[in-house]
Amino acid sequence: MKASVLEDEDRNTREVRAPRGTSRWRKQLDERASFLVACALLIGLVAVYGSLRKGVFSFEELNLDTAAAMTLLLAASGQTVVLLRGGIDLSIGGIISLGTVLAATRFGHHPQTAAFWTFLIIAMGLLVGAANGLIIAVLELQPFLVTLTTWAILSGVALIVLPTDGGSLPPGWMKFGAASWFGLSSSVWLLIALLLFWCWFRKTRLCLAIRASGSNERSAYLSGVSLIFSDVAAYALSGTFAALASLYLTTQTGTGSPTIGNGYILPTVAAAVIGGVSLFGGRGGLVGTIVGVFIMTMIGNLVFVLSVSSYWQPVVSGVILLLAVLASSIAEKSAKRNLLA
Amino acid sequence: MNALAKHRAVLFAYLVTILLLLLGGIISPGFLSVSHLRTMSLLAAFIGIVALGQTFVIIGGGIDLSVPWVLNGAAVFVSLFAHNHNQPLLWAVPVLLAAGALVGAINGVGIAVTGIPPIIMTLAVNVILQGGILLYTGGAPAAAAPRALQFLAVGRVAHVPVVLGIWTLLAIAATILLSKTTFGRYLFALGTSPTVAEYSGVPILRTIVLSYALSGFTAALVGMLLAGYSGQAYLGMGDPYLFTSIAAVAIGGTSIMGGSGHYVGTIAGAFLLTILTSLLPALNLSSGALQVLYGLAILVSVSVASTALPKLLFPRRSTG
Repeated sequence: MKASVLEDEDRNTREVRAPRGTSRWRKQLDERASFLVACALLIGLVAVYGSLRKGVFSFEELNLDTAAAMTLLLAASGQTVVLLRGGIDLSIGGIISLGTVLAATRFGHHPQTAAFWTFLIIAMGLLVGAANGLIIAVLELQPFLVTLTTWAILSGVALIVLPTDGGSLPPGWMKFGAASWFGLSSSVWLLIALLLFWCWFRKTRLCLAIRASGSNERSAYLSGVSLIFSDVAAYALSGTFAALASLYLTTQTGTGSPTIGNGYILPTVAAAVIGGVSLFGGRGGLVGTIVGVFIMTMIGNLVFVLSVSSYWQPVVSGVILLLAVLASSIAEKSAKRNLLA
Repeated sequence: MNALAKHRAVLFAYLVTILLLLLGGIISPGFLSVSHLRTMSLLAAFIGIVALGQTFVIIGGGIDLSVPWVLNGAAVFVSLFAHNHNQPLLWAVPVLLAAGALVGAINGVGIAVTGIPPIIMTLAVNVILQGGILLYTGGAPAAAAPRALQFLAVGRVAHVPVVLGIWTLLAIAATILLSKTTFGRYLFALGTSPTVAEYSGVPILRTIVLSYALSGFTAALVGMLLAGYSGQAYLGMGDPYLFTSIAAVAIGGTSIMGGSGHYVGTIAGAFLLTILTSLLPALNLSSGALQVLYGLAILVSVSVASTALPKLLFPRRSTG
């Protein structure tokens, strides 16, 4: 108990408030510094990409890039909610792998079975997430460790279901990835739906509870927020989003893979952090994460256009991740200095 | 809280290890033979040495995700530098150990000076190293490991594998470092509460940098030993060690939140993971089942160590 009180005091000192007398704008600027840096970076990357290649500013390019980014985007949306809660969800990788192998082996050819298993996969994500949240909250364990174990268990189950890449999906299923309405592909409509979801969700009591318990667990608890509920809800949302990401991924690849999800775990965290979501909880939003995901997509595009070795991609994303976090940590420090001055 | 309850996670890890050994002995006749035990302890040593640095970092309240490619880098470069000759090892091994420690120190400086969270800092360094090594080697596997290295990894002196000797020395050093030195006490203080530690005069920067440097050092050491063990370096050889090093620490009862733990527990964790892996062929299980078992093993052992568990099981007896 003593230790947790000290932890909370640590958090209190980390809490940053603008001093009296500074303008509202300055306060906004300090709070959103890393998000604004990410936006500037994305604009810069798009500008460079646009100058290197023709036809970048077209619906076609938007459709292509959004389709490439959508799986990561869906998974990172769930990660964002968990990061706001002050946790981290590594089980996303296991849920994505298991989702794709279940889809590739169980969908068959009847639309009814496909619909049934779609429902089951989403329910699997939701339940696994809820279990994560419950274990973390009730046993007071570290999110990193608990979700690491569920990741191991789920990817083990995925390997048992389908030991190697393979399986197939009904042809109609893959049409969704290529479908478009009014010149915008299904992925762009999904992106719009995601933004609408966030516009609604960010104002809900649930989001407020998650954000509050992420920024200061103790005061959230004292204000009547149920920590168990906010944990279960945050991780259940993350699991559901990961399941949706796996379903979207199968519309793109047309196969199942028991290891494909592993490549998404850390990029989801990186995208959110680049977009200004704090790893300490409470701060950031889905719009930042979307910007972060598109920054990573743009880096991939640039590496391709410049036709340098694809091994540069991890190096560049690593450096940008570090710079983004450095920028936000410097912004935080300068805000603290203002507070003391 | 009495000593038994305090160390129940460590005791649990050893108990499960012994039970798994007995189970193996019952299922397959050769499981408890000297040669099989020797092979298993070799594999446990690789996990255990990587997890040594990880234990220090985690006790200090951090985590080192850069282990895989520090390990892989050391393995690749030792083979490249040595070119099948033993002579260059005399300078290559110390240089690469120092390079591993340097990468760790960079992690530590990044975390302590700029306030970047350990997960992000070490993750980014891992990714950058991965890209750098792939660029340097062009994605092609490196040359074979020189003979002297192979002797270090699989050779024996008086029936005892050399690696086990190295591991024993390191384990003794780690235990002394953690329990008898000021550095050890600083590390526990830092892991318990960085704020309190700083106000109490703990040299934060030096302690963090040292712990991460140690982790880089042990990862580089295992990289070179593994290159000797498998006869050559290959790309991606470090990846399994990210999960197993953290798992060994967690199973060994070290709190991932920092501030508590023992290397003694991590040793049990390394053995437990290795025995679990070698039980698979005997039990006729797939690698998927291994992952499930790994996950369950960690989940159960961290739940046993959880301070909330006694409160849940015996609500009336808990007095806070």
